[in-house]
Amino acid sequence: MNWRSFQQLQKVVEIGDSFISYIDEGKGPPVVLIHGIPMWGYLWHQQIPALAETHRVLVPDLLGFGFSDKRDCFDRSISRQAEVIDQWMNALDIDQAVIVAHDIGGGVALRLATLFPHRVSKLCLLNTVCYDSWPIELMLQAGHPETKRKMSASTATNVLSHALKQGFSHSPDASVMEGLLAPYRTEVGKLSLIRNASALNTNLTTEITSRLPEIRVPALILWGEDDKFQLLKYGERLAWDIPSASLIRIENARHFVMLDQPDQVSRHLVDFLATPSESPRLEASPNGPSATVKR
Amino acid sequence: MFGLSKKQPIAEHEATGEIERVYYEIKQSLRVTGVNLNFRTWAAYGEFLPLVWDVMRPNVETWAFESAADRLRSDAVRSVAELGPPAVRSHVSLGESQSFQIRAALDLYHYVNPKLLVFSSAVLLLLQGEEVGRATTQEADRLPRGVPPTMYSMEMESEQPDDEHLMELYRDIKNSLSLRSINSDYRTLALWPDYLSAAWQALKPLVQTPMHQDAANQLRETALTLARGLPYPVSLDLQAVKDAGAEIEEVVEITESFVQLLPGLILNMARLQLDWREVAELEESPFPAPSPQFEKEGVS
Repeated sequence: MNWRSFQQLQKVVEIGDSFISYIDEGKGPPVVLIHGIPMWGYLWHQQIPALAETHRVLVPDLLGFGFSDKRDCFDRSISRQAEVIDQWMNALDIDQAVIVAHDIGGGVALRLATLFPHRVSKLCLLNTVCYDSWPIELMLQAGHPETKRKMSASTATNVLSHALKQGFSHSPDASVMEGLLAPYRTEVGKLSLIRNASALNTNLTTEITSRLPEIRVPALILWGEDDKFQLLKYGERLAWDIPSASLIRIENARHFVMLDQPDQVSRHLVDFLATPSESPRLEASPNGPSATVKR
Repeated sequence: MFGLSKKQPIAEHEATGEIERVYYEIKQSLRVTGVNLNFRTWAAYGEFLPLVWDVMRPNVETWAFESAADRLRSDAVRSVAELGPPAVRSHVSLGESQSFQIRAALDLYHYVNPKLLVFSSAVLLLLQGEEVGRATTQEADRLPRGVPPTMYSMEMESEQPDDEHLMELYRDIKNSLSLRSINSDYRTLALWPDYLSAAWQALKPLVQTPMHQDAANQLRETALTLARGLPYPVSLDLQAVKDAGAEIEEVVEITESFVQLLPGLILNMARLQLDWREVAELEESPFPAPSPQFEKEGVS
């Protein structure tokens, strides 16, 4: 599916003075897929069809990202994004959902799971930010306010496109890369991306580190093991800290694991969604290092 | 040919120094999310934009200026209402979010274009040596500064897009309207190229009709009258314009082109709006300013 077709499927809901665009496909228990930076919901386009066979698949563009509100007048931190997801779920009348998240979307998901635990029925994290694993150098540079003067939107998109190739085990199809960066090709999009990057804040994951063992829902950690942006050691640490977590390493995959190994990731997600929500291991060892590490 | 200058307009992200200062004040005072092509074009002429902005700003920040724009908007809606909705929506497959954003973008331009026409008309009069504004013995009611909280961002496609179909569409718009540069409005609608294409197919046959031209002429005349009636009398020192490094003949020419172009643009955006909103709703400002009475009460 090309990005234009994907965009055409997006619905919209207003949250206060802002708006969130999102995909809502399939019927069944809700599952929410959250992207990272500098992405949008299109990141998940290869997983949505498989998940929508059994679930209601909801894919928001975070505030300031994709085709959600991109004005230069609001907080884009993962703290605010978690609140927005909470409000967005309210607006859609969804009490609880399986949360699947990547990159800073994982930071949002971790805040949801620790601070809004009633919202999360299961948790799946893919190559996510956590602890002090972030921001990466590329995004720190992108977030400097002067970046808006240093390069035009088209130059910024070209630079980003080149830099992001490090996040793939093999070069993605040119049309996919174009689609991933499509919302940021304008000056407004570029500025929004700069503001998104400037909102990246390590403290917003370190402040919840001590609460990770409180996460009681079944958790799956999928990690492209060759990731240079979010190293595998962080996935292993999450699997250690979250009592109910399992870790699956994905070979021949880097940061954008869902695009590097789309079928494998879809399969693992389908299997995870099919497992019961209650985790038996949780009761056996709620606070200990009970992660099952698979290879 | 209209639109504009032989010089390259200065984009918002390129602005520094005085131009950056003026761009910020324009957005705050006009209550709008971006800087339109007329300002970006004037900015290319030395210190002309800061000079004319500083002269005009006291009037722009009045409720009278807002009311003048409201009057033009309302007149434009009444002119196109009898044509009925252009039915562009039914020719394009749009998603819910796309529809929401197109409507929001049309609201933005439906709001700002009449303000641009009042402003440009006043600048033209000043450049022709007229004094704008009538002597007033009391301070005019001031408009609160700041962008309305739900106004859509002034996001635009590149003027040189990679998409060949879009480029061809731009060429057709520019040729049909005798433009050198494509307006912000069309560049924003180009974010949804199928919509812009269908919209232009609906608008193009109308823009050369006597009815459209009569309505545009009427708006132009009304705008000049309204500009003359702004509360604060101001004038422009034409020698100062020359000293500011502006080629005055070229500035006059491009300002005339804005005054020529904007009425048609106001009518076109009003026409497209008929697909989305009722006539009575469109006659009202999409972002009404708080009334002066409310402001006074707020201050006290």
